[in-house]
Amino acid sequence: MPAANKKKVSKIETEKPKEIAKRIRSMSEDIVKQIKKNTDPTFITKQRGRGNVEFDEKKGIIELGEKETTRSFLNIAHTKKFLQTMLVTAKAYDYLNQNKTASIREIYYELKHNIKGTKENTFDGQHESDSCLVDLEHAVDTIREKLNVHANPKGTLYGDITLMDRKHNNDKFNCLKLGRGGWSIMSRMEPNEIEIKQVNAKYVLVIETSAMYERLIEEDFAKKNKAILIGVGGQAARGARRLIHRLHTEKNLPVFAFTDGDPYGWYIYSVIKQGSMALAAHSTFLACPDAQYIGMTMEDIKTYGLEAVTEKMKPGDIKRAKEMMQYEWFQNKPWQEELKNAIHQKLRIEQQALANKSLEFVAKEYLPKKIKNKEFLP
Amino acid sequence: MAEQIITGDTLEKEFREHSVAEFFKRNRQMLGLYGKVRSLTTVVHEYVSNSLDACEEAHILPEIEVKLEELGPEYYMLTVKDNGPGLTRVTVGKALGQLLAGTKFHRLIQMRGQQGIGASGATMLAQMTTGKATKVISGTGKGKAFACEITIDPKKNQPKIDNLHDLDKQFRGLMVQAKFKDVLYRESSTGPMEYLRRTAIANPHSQITFVSPKGEKTIFKRTAAYIPKKPRPMKPHPNGVTVDEIVTMGHATAGRKVSSFLKTDFERVGDTSMAKLQKEVKFDLNKDPKQLTWDESEQIVKGFKKIDFISPSTDGLRPIGEARIKKSLESIVEPEYIYTLTRPPKVYAGGFPFQVEIGIAYGGKAGKGGNGDDGENATKQIMEGENEAKLEIMRFANRAPLLFDAGNCAITKAVHSIEWKRYGVKNLENVPLTVFVNLISVHIPYTGTGKQAITDENDVVEELRLALMQCARKTSQYINAKRRELESKMRRDMFYKYIPEIAHALHEVTKVEEKLMIDKLENLVLTKLDLEKPELEKEHDAQKKKEKQEEIKKFREEVFGEEREEVKEEGDD
Repeated sequence: MPAANKKKVSKIETEKPKEIAKRIRSMSEDIVKQIKKNTDPTFITKQRGRGNVEFDEKKGIIELGEKETTRSFLNIAHTKKFLQTMLVTAKAYDYLNQNKTASIREIYYELKHNIKGTKENTFDGQHESDSCLVDLEHAVDTIREKLNVHANPKGTLYGDITLMDRKHNNDKFNCLKLGRGGWSIMSRMEPNEIEIKQVNAKYVLVIETSAMYERLIEEDFAKKNKAILIGVGGQAARGARRLIHRLHTEKNLPVFAFTDGDPYGWYIYSVIKQGSMALAAHSTFLACPDAQYIGMTMEDIKTYGLEAVTEKMKPGDIKRAKEMMQYEWFQNKPWQEELKNAIHQKLRIEQQALANKSLEFVAKEYLPKKIKNKEFLP
Repeated sequence: MAEQIITGDTLEKEFREHSVAEFFKRNRQMLGLYGKVRSLTTVVHEYVSNSLDACEEAHILPEIEVKLEELGPEYYMLTVKDNGPGLTRVTVGKALGQLLAGTKFHRLIQMRGQQGIGASGATMLAQMTTGKATKVISGTGKGKAFACEITIDPKKNQPKIDNLHDLDKQFRGLMVQAKFKDVLYRESSTGPMEYLRRTAIANPHSQITFVSPKGEKTIFKRTAAYIPKKPRPMKPHPNGVTVDEIVTMGHATAGRKVSSFLKTDFERVGDTSMAKLQKEVKFDLNKDPKQLTWDESEQIVKGFKKIDFISPSTDGLRPIGEARIKKSLESIVEPEYIYTLTRPPKVYAGGFPFQVEIGIAYGGKAGKGGNGDDGENATKQIMEGENEAKLEIMRFANRAPLLFDAGNCAITKAVHSIEWKRYGVKNLENVPLTVFVNLISVHIPYTGTGKQAITDENDVVEELRLALMQCARKTSQYINAKRRELESKMRRDMFYKYIPEIAHALHEVTKVEEKLMIDKLENLVLTKLDLEKPELEKEHDAQKKKEKQEEIKKFREEVFGEEREEVKEEGDD
C-alpha cells in the first residue's frame, strides 16, 4: 500500500522512471491478484479535497493529509472511475517504457473512445482523466512529471539566468538574450530536464499580467534592478511554480509577487507561497513559503493617490475576500487588515492602474522603492 | 304554373308525407347521425349489433363480415354479412324498412345497442343521401334464399320491397348492402375500424372481419366459443321508479287493486311493504290501478322512498367474464400483461342493478400509438419517460363500445381520478396502457340522448374507482417486479460493460490473459447482485403486505360482498 510518508517524498525528485514503472506494475499485479482470488479489486489513493487538506504552519505550506481512500470496482459509484484509472495507468506505464512524454490533454484524447456495445465514452471531459491521473500519482506515490505526463505550459521567464535543456541537445541559453518575449516556461521543469546553470540576480519578481511583464521588459527593469521576471499570466501553472520554487531553493533568491489588489491576485500569491488545495500533495515541490507580496495594496491607493483609478468590488469579489479572511494562512495582522480594508471600501486596484502616474512609474519608482524599503505583506 | 293554394287539407297531406323524413332529419343528432365520421360508424354499429343480437337469439356463434368501399368523395358502400338466422320475406320489411319498429323502450333488460337508429334508420339515411335502395340477401338455411331491395315509404313509414326474387342456392344469414353519401371513413379512434375492434374485444364469442376502403382486411378472431346467456328482463324496483311510469304501468296492469299491481309488477314489494305504504299515502291501496291519478302516483313514489326495500336482484345481468376478457384482450390488443376483473353486481340509485368489468392491458402493443416494443424496452421507456404510447380507455356499455363524448363520461373521469403514480405509472400520457371498462346494467345511466357517455352517478363512479384501483394494484405489482428485474439487469450491465476495458488495460501492464479476468470479474458482479437480491425482495414483501392490508380495508368499507365471486360459466343453453 503506497502511502506518501515523508521519507518517500524526498525520494520522489530523484527517482528513475524504471522504479516508477515497477511500482505501476506491482499496483496492477495487486489488482489482478484480487481478481483471481474472487475479491473485489481495489486500489488505494489519497483522499483529496478540503477534507484532507491541512496547513502546516511550521513549513508555511498547504499539505495533503494522511487520509486515504479506496477505489473499488464493485462500488457502483466507483466503477467507472476504476475503469478510467486503469486506462490512465496502462497509458502512463506505456509512456514510461517508451520514454515518451505527453500532455494531460494528449493523454485524454489518446484514451477517449466509445465503450464497446454502448453509447458511452471512456471519458466525458479532460477533467475526468486529469482526476484519474492525480489518483494514480498518489497510488504509486509520485508526481505527474515522473509519470512522463505534463500539464499545458504557461508562463514566461526573462532575466540574466542561464538554463540548459537536457532534453534538447543540451542547449544552453541566457534568458536575457531571447528577445523581448523571454523564454516560455515548460510544463515540466524538473532538474534532470532543465538545469539552472547560472543566475545573476538579486531576486525573482512574479508578475500576474502579461501586460505588466512586457512593460517591465520595455523599461529594462530586469537589467537595471538585477531581477528575474516571471510572467505567470493569471494563476501560475505547475511549471512556473516549480521554477519559482527551484529558484528560491536552489539559488536562494527572494521571491516577490506583484499582482492586482483583488481576490484573484491575492489567491495567485497564496498559491505561489503556500501551494494550492488541488495540488496539496505537491506543495513541497511547488510552494515557496518565503515569498512576499509587493502589491497592489490598499495602502498604495493612498500613498500614490490612485483613488480615481480604483474599481468597485463586485458582490462575488466581496464574498471571495471574506472567505479568504478565514484561510489559516491569511491569519496574520497585515493580511487581515488588508482584506478588511478592501472589503470595507469595496475597492480593488489593478497593476496597470499605476500607468495613471506615468508608464515608467512602476519601473522607476514604485517597485524599486518598495523593494528598497521592504514594504511587503507577508 | 298556377299558384298553389294552401288549405288545411294540403297542409295535413304535406305534413304526413314528410313526417317520417322530417322527423329523421330534425333528429339526426339525437340518432347519432351527425358528423361525417360518426354517421358512418353509427350505421356500421346498427348492422353489426343487429347481427350479434340475432345470432345470440338463434344460438349461433356469430361470424360477421363488414366491408366498406369508397365510391366517390364522401360516398361509400357498406356491406355487412352475417351467419345469423336470417330474415324471412315477411320480417325483412319490418326489420329494415320501418323506423322505430322494433321497440326496446321501457324494458328493463341488459342489451347492447340502445343508442342509435336501428337498421331501418340506415335504410332511411341511404335513401336520403343517395336515393338508392338498400339491397338485402337473406336465407334461413332452409329452402331457397332470396334477394330484394328495400326503401321506406316516408308517407306511411312503411317498407317498400322491390325486385324480390328467389336465389338458386341455400344460404343462412343476412347480407345488407347500402350506399351512403356525406359520410367519411377515417382510421381514427371514432372510426368503424376502432368500433369493430372494440366490439370484437367485448364480444369474444364473435368473429368479425373488416375490409377497409383501402382493401385491407382485418380479422378479429373468436376467442371464446360460447353463446352468451340471454339477459333476463327485470321488473322495476320501487327505488328507481318515476311517477309517470306508475301511471302508465297502472293503466296497463292486470292487477285489480293498486296493492296487487305494485306487488306483481314491481320487484321486492310484498305485503309488509304494502302495509307500510298504506300509512304513507292518503288513499286506499285497494283502489283500481287504472284510476290512479298523477297526485296519487306521486304519493306512492314518495312513500316508496320511506320504505327500506331489499336491493333488486342482480341475476339478470350477464357479464362477459374475467377469463374471456383476458383472452380477448390477449388476442386483439396483444399486450405483455393483462389483469381482468368482473366485480360482483351492485345497485345504483337504490333501484338499478349494475356490474363493472375491468381489463388492464399493459406493455406490448397496449395503449394508443404503442410501438409494440417488447417488455423490457417498454419498461425502460416508461422509466425514462420515452414511450410513445398513450393511455387508451375503451369504454363499453353492455358490451357496446362508446366511442364518442369521452370527456363527459364517468368511466373516463373515474380512470383519471385514480392516482396512477401510486401504482407505478408515472405519466398517464406516456404509458402503454389500455383500460377496458364494461359497464353492464338493465338501465345504463347515459348522460344524454347521444348515449355515448355515462353520467356521474355516485354509486357507479365509486364502484368504477374501486374496481380500477383493484386492477391497478395488481398491475403495479407486475410493473414493479418488471422494474426490479430491469433495474437488476441494468445494474449488472453497468458493471459488465466496463469489464472488457478493465481487463484489457490490466493486460497491457501485467500480460495476464484478458479472458480469465473477464470471467472472474463477471462472476464477481453476479455474486454481488445475488447478495443484494434478498434485500430487494424483503422490501418488496413489505410493500406487498401493506397493499394487501389496504385492499382488505377497502373491501370492508364496501357495502356488498367481501370476496370476489368467480363468474359462473355460461353454457350453451
